[in-house]
Amino acid sequence: MAVNRKKIIEDLSKIEILGNENGLIEKFNVYVNQLPIHFWNGFAERLTNKIAPDLLEATEYLLIHAGQNCGYHTGYGIIKSEEWEAVVAPMIETKEDILHGAFAVLTAWGWGNAEIVELLPNEKMVVRVYNYYESDIVKYGKTDKMSAYMLRGICAAFFSLAYGGEYSPNGDNALKYNCLQTKGIECGDEYGEFIVTPN
Amino acid sequence: MAEFKKNSLIVEHKFDTKTKRHYLNNTQTVFHCHHYTTLYTQLALDAGETVLLQNVAEESFFDLISNYFETHNIENLDEKVDIACEYYAALGLGDVKVRFLGEDSGEVISEHSHIEQGWLKKWGKYDKTVNYIGCGYVAAMFSAILDKPIGTFFVKEHQSIVKGDKFTMFKIVKK
Repeated sequence: MAVNRKKIIEDLSKIEILGNENGLIEKFNVYVNQLPIHFWNGFAERLTNKIAPDLLEATEYLLIHAGQNCGYHTGYGIIKSEEWEAVVAPMIETKEDILHGAFAVLTAWGWGNAEIVELLPNEKMVVRVYNYYESDIVKYGKTDKMSAYMLRGICAAFFSLAYGGEYSPNGDNALKYNCLQTKGIECGDEYGEFIVTPN
Repeated sequence: MAEFKKNSLIVEHKFDTKTKRHYLNNTQTVFHCHHYTTLYTQLALDAGETVLLQNVAEESFFDLISNYFETHNIENLDEKVDIACEYYAALGLGDVKVRFLGEDSGEVISEHSHIEQGWLKKWGKYDKTVNYIGCGYVAAMFSAILDKPIGTFFVKEHQSIVKGDKFTMFKIVKK
């Protein structure tokens, strides 16, 4: 059975999550939150624009690293969850199916409408993302600074989960791959493009 | 659109199938985990930009809370306090209880915290306070409840779960 992206998005986007009696959302082996996108974009965009130019690369790396950690641990929690088991697992036959399923879940979670367009197992993955929230930093015109740090981290993390060996709770195996952003909606492109390769 | 009630707070969740975006009470939101919030916080600490983190949080949450009060015609003080506390929990940030609230000062305590329990789970105890996102929320809720402009209050943690205290205490002072 091929991965039915539409069904995954339809089913998993309906999950309604609210904090428990302590205000915590304990799911997928992590604490989950649902904060306004203005918060995430606001901090990343203001920080990367105000930081001294010689510190920009390090700052961007840390923003990507945050996404990579998030994608690795939460991604692992998702593929071990009962929701995944019920909706996605019956469609999975290969490791590549897991990746296609994970990007459908990414879309259902509201991070961006993401789909793999090229996949060479353990070598290269090209992901195309439409309407991702990190591109909302530009309302008019375009910027030269590609700003989808979270998505860069997530793409690399998902590839690590597929090909980076056993899941490592300390995150060591999360960092085996690198992701470059080659196109961005915020830069005037029709979609964001992300290319993952081994380090 | 799904609508469900949690105590007095009404939360309406919508997923726009065309744009693939989530909305809580018409505010666009997104799911993230404690790894992401704690690493954002660590970055703010490393870059010396905790004020920025707190300010951006305050802006984001002020709009959320104020819009809710306006949309639902909430004018009663007790109700405003309850709703603001329930909203914090609905977002998954933990719990907050207002010990007292005044025009010039206040105290809020939190026994459960997404950021701080997430920090402890990821790295263990720390010798500095880390809940700048919570500080931003508390500043926003005080301004929204008292119909003051954003940025009216200064908030600082005086006790901290992540430092080993039983609960976190936010102290609020008018600027």
